[in-house]
Amino acid sequence: MIEILDPTVEIATQSVTFVPRPDSLAGKRIGLVENTKFNSDRLLQRIGDILVAEYGAAEARMWRKRNASVPAHEEIVQELRETCDVMVAGIGD
Amino acid sequence: MGPAALTSKRLTAAGETEAIELCFSQGWTDGLPVVPPTPDRVGRMLAAARLDPAHEVAYVAHRAVSVTAEKVAINAVMAGCRPEYMPVVVAAIEGIGDPRWSYHGPGTSTAGAAVLVIVSGPVARELGVNAGDNLFGPGWRANLTIGRAVRLVMRNVCGSLPGTLDRGTLGHPGKLSYVIAENEAESPWSPVHVERGFRPEQSAVTIVAAAGPRQFYNQLSNTAEGVLTTLADDMRVSGNLMGQPQYVVVLAGEHMRTIADDGWTKAMIREFLFANTQNSHAHLKRTHQMAGRVEPGDETRMRPLVESPDDILVVAAGGRAGAFSCYIPGWGGKRSSQAVTKEVKR
Repeated sequence: MIEILDPTVEIATQSVTFVPRPDSLAGKRIGLVENTKFNSDRLLQRIGDILVAEYGAAEARMWRKRNASVPAHEEIVQELRETCDVMVAGIGD
Repeated sequence: MGPAALTSKRLTAAGETEAIELCFSQGWTDGLPVVPPTPDRVGRMLAAARLDPAHEVAYVAHRAVSVTAEKVAINAVMAGCRPEYMPVVVAAIEGIGDPRWSYHGPGTSTAGAAVLVIVSGPVARELGVNAGDNLFGPGWRANLTIGRAVRLVMRNVCGSLPGTLDRGTLGHPGKLSYVIAENEAESPWSPVHVERGFRPEQSAVTIVAAAGPRQFYNQLSNTAEGVLTTLADDMRVSGNLMGQPQYVVVLAGEHMRTIADDGWTKAMIREFLFANTQNSHAHLKRTHQMAGRVEPGDETRMRPLVESPDDILVVAAGGRAGAFSCYIPGWGGKRSSQAVTKEVKR
């Protein structure tokens, strides 16, 4: 009988709470986070326009990550938290 | 420290063979059998680097993962490392945790980055890290197992599982292990770690998020300019052109001697390659690398392959015979990931 050690990270239990989905987008402020890849801004803007025109969202504003390979920086996250109700993040490639 | 100080969960198996199969069934391997990480083996690995099990080797912010020495040691045992390799593995793991290397991209990207580890300084020779024949190929335990340990840490600790978080479209063989040493014994040039701020008697690893090596041939020229012209022509359209990644150029024995005999330094090589690997905007547009239609002036408007000459790392390594060398495009772009150099602490 031999004993071996687990090479993986044994993560302590952590609960993550998601904001509940809104029942309707009417009057909601939409945040768009684009990842800088080619056409990602156009794709997201189109989605934002549809959410305003067809679903009654109040507005759709866009933020830009520093580059596609990093998480959204803290300033973006903070502004989204303060000024948006719903966000859409996307990858353009 | 004794094996009792180790806090990782323990599993039991009937014997070595069963333990190897258990590691497969737990999803802990890269597809090859591993050495079962018993507490005694892990303890010896930690002792060789004089590290406490709880020591934080790296904190990978993008994954919110603390990589402890204990986990590095377990994965190094599994990879087949000898205990004396552990300080090199540790330095490489410090590298992947460096914000400039930026784990988020190379650890996940569809573009399939491997971790190229360039070992330089005395430790490379002491451990027998190969800098010669079959540089990237089989045959040397230090090269194969150190790089394998790094990838196992990425898999088992950082969560870069192929097919889930690691989404490489093609990947490449270097993702199993991608470790080379610089041929300091025969090179006329300053080794990479000295160029990057360390003293010659220090040892260091330079890690680069990298695509596979591309070999080029020049069996004709006996001048530095001749060999490097061939190289520049091959490099010019390679890698992620619009991302401007860093590049590694590996000059093997014959080419190294030809270039050095002409009195060229590494700095001269970098300047020459920077000047001769630029593409016109017109070419980039015609070949659908750059968006837009060709405009007046685009034929003479040039885009460099890399942001600056210093983004080409020149390494002397590879066999003595054969008029071949290679270049390695970095992954993504310099703004997404940069080469970092870490001291090997012993």
